[in-house]
Amino acid sequence: MSTQPSDGSAPTRATVRDRLDRVTDPELDRSIVALEYVDAIEIDGGHVGVDLTLPTAWCSPAFAWMMAVDARDEIESLPAVEEARITLSEHMHETEINRGVNEDLSFAEAFPDADGDVAAVRAELDDKARVARQYDAVKALLEAGFDAEAIVDVRLRNLELTDEAESAAVYVRDRSFAVTVPAAPLERYLEKAREIGLVSAPDDHLFRTPEGDPIDPDSFELVHRRGRLAQVNMSSQGGICDGLREAREGRLERSADD
Amino acid sequence: MYQHNGEEIFIIDGHVHLWDATEENIQHQGGEEFIQCFYDYHTTFTPEERQWDIDEYRKYGADRMVEDLFGNAAADMAVFQPTYLTDFYTEGFNTTEQNAELATEHPERFVLNGTFDPRDGEEGLEYLEELHEKYEIPGVKLYTAEWRGDSKGWRLDDEEAFEFLQKCADLGIENVHPHKGPTIRPLNRDAFDVKDADDAASSFPELNFIVEHVGLPRLDDFCWIATQETNVYGGLAVAAPFAQNRPGKFSEIMSELLWWLGEDRVIFGSDYAIWNPDWLVEEVMEAELTEEHRAEYGVEWDLETKKKVMGENIADLYDIDIEAKREAFEDDEISQQFGLEDHYAGEEPTPADD
Repeated sequence: MSTQPSDGSAPTRATVRDRLDRVTDPELDRSIVALEYVDAIEIDGGHVGVDLTLPTAWCSPAFAWMMAVDARDEIESLPAVEEARITLSEHMHETEINRGVNEDLSFAEAFPDADGDVAAVRAELDDKARVARQYDAVKALLEAGFDAEAIVDVRLRNLELTDEAESAAVYVRDRSFAVTVPAAPLERYLEKAREIGLVSAPDDHLFRTPEGDPIDPDSFELVHRRGRLAQVNMSSQGGICDGLREAREGRLERSADD
Repeated sequence: MYQHNGEEIFIIDGHVHLWDATEENIQHQGGEEFIQCFYDYHTTFTPEERQWDIDEYRKYGADRMVEDLFGNAAADMAVFQPTYLTDFYTEGFNTTEQNAELATEHPERFVLNGTFDPRDGEEGLEYLEELHEKYEIPGVKLYTAEWRGDSKGWRLDDEEAFEFLQKCADLGIENVHPHKGPTIRPLNRDAFDVKDADDAASSFPELNFIVEHVGLPRLDDFCWIATQETNVYGGLAVAAPFAQNRPGKFSEIMSELLWWLGEDRVIFGSDYAIWNPDWLVEEVMEAELTEEHRAEYGVEWDLETKKKVMGENIADLYDIDIEAKREAFEDDEISQQFGLEDHYAGEEPTPADD
């Protein structure tokens, strides 16, 4: 699947794009490539430059920071890359962000008047992404015939995901039988649940309340609704961001015509 | 009043401003960025043929505002929600005093809200009392993300904020409208955070908390808090204009709100002049929930719900007698100005359902 060369020559554009595709807008939980925030990729030997523009100059500097740092780290994780340079444009804090990201500063160093670091904001948004992704995973199980009681009882060890396979197996009643479900929503959920360390041991409950606890069967419906709500919130904000980006592009085009 | 399927619906716009963002009034770069940001919101969710140019958007004046709101009876009444931003704008962006010039000219049409900022301490408490004495403000608009000196904002659950909320309760200023939505430069401080409304609402059950912009982009946190605190309401500004160019999204947001809050706690507002009720009211009134959302959520955007959201809910909060207003508007100054006497005299009052 990887298109990356191993002999130390320059990375390909496709490899860089693949890496950037893993970076999400933390508020929307969608790839910055899919959201069209990436304006340009310049490759010069082991040096990679990436130009980013966000929907508005007012996008939270904390979110802009996270995306810029994640983009840098993803690209620099490629063996063929010596250095990534991120250039954020059209943002009210582009100077601080570009300098901070390219000089490897912390957020607190880049923004001395901020109240601290971005870790807490990132953790909160990760949690929301996890809750929203869980909705799709649970929906897949419901559609496969699971009931609430069975779903809240599923442990990590009950889930069998195979690389590249389109379906996953979920074992119930202590491995006495397996139900086949689409793999994608479960993989996507598990990726986030693992990333934040919520689900790691084989015996861990796979699905959780937004607060991170195992789900009581009586509150299953409410927890599921909260997952749906988290999705609606993200996609609504996505609608605002899309619209603002279109409006801004329109304005820039008009002023370029003047 | 909006004519809908043969019924007349009384519309109260719960969120309007009369602002001044002319270059002469801007004293900080933030002021220019702020109005540009507002303008992006305006153009994003306004039909192309109804968009203003930036110069008229900076300052539109009282006459135009009256005509936009009431000229074709798109709205019957409106609630002023001030936004001070005095660090950005020399005379403020739209202060209570500025809004009062128009509100006191047409007291039958406008509700005039005030504000407080707990960072102003004793002086702030005195100012709140002054607003109460001078204008009898029935509510306050709060801007927790506002810059003041070195401070980049404050929280509703700060100890100082509680002092001010207590003062509101003592003075009978019952309606608290925290802005929870688009913000000014939040840095890493999450100025969108709505969680501070939770503690404030449970500590002051005698006050109503109308969370403006339904917490977007924190709709999830907002709805969850609102299910637990029955004195929390959702103001639709920002969500409403989705009806115009993102109707599926509008349907989804409205379905969530009706499912979590119920039809009694959702309140219409245009956020004029970001959006203009003269087209927005119709878009919202004619919007429909998709078949899919109606089935999924089991809620309806029907006539009864629209009447509540578009007027009755906020009328309850502000003790507005809709029937008395309708009669008064048969010959008030604004109806005379726009020839709306017949419009308001149109029909016998419809019998109340409850």
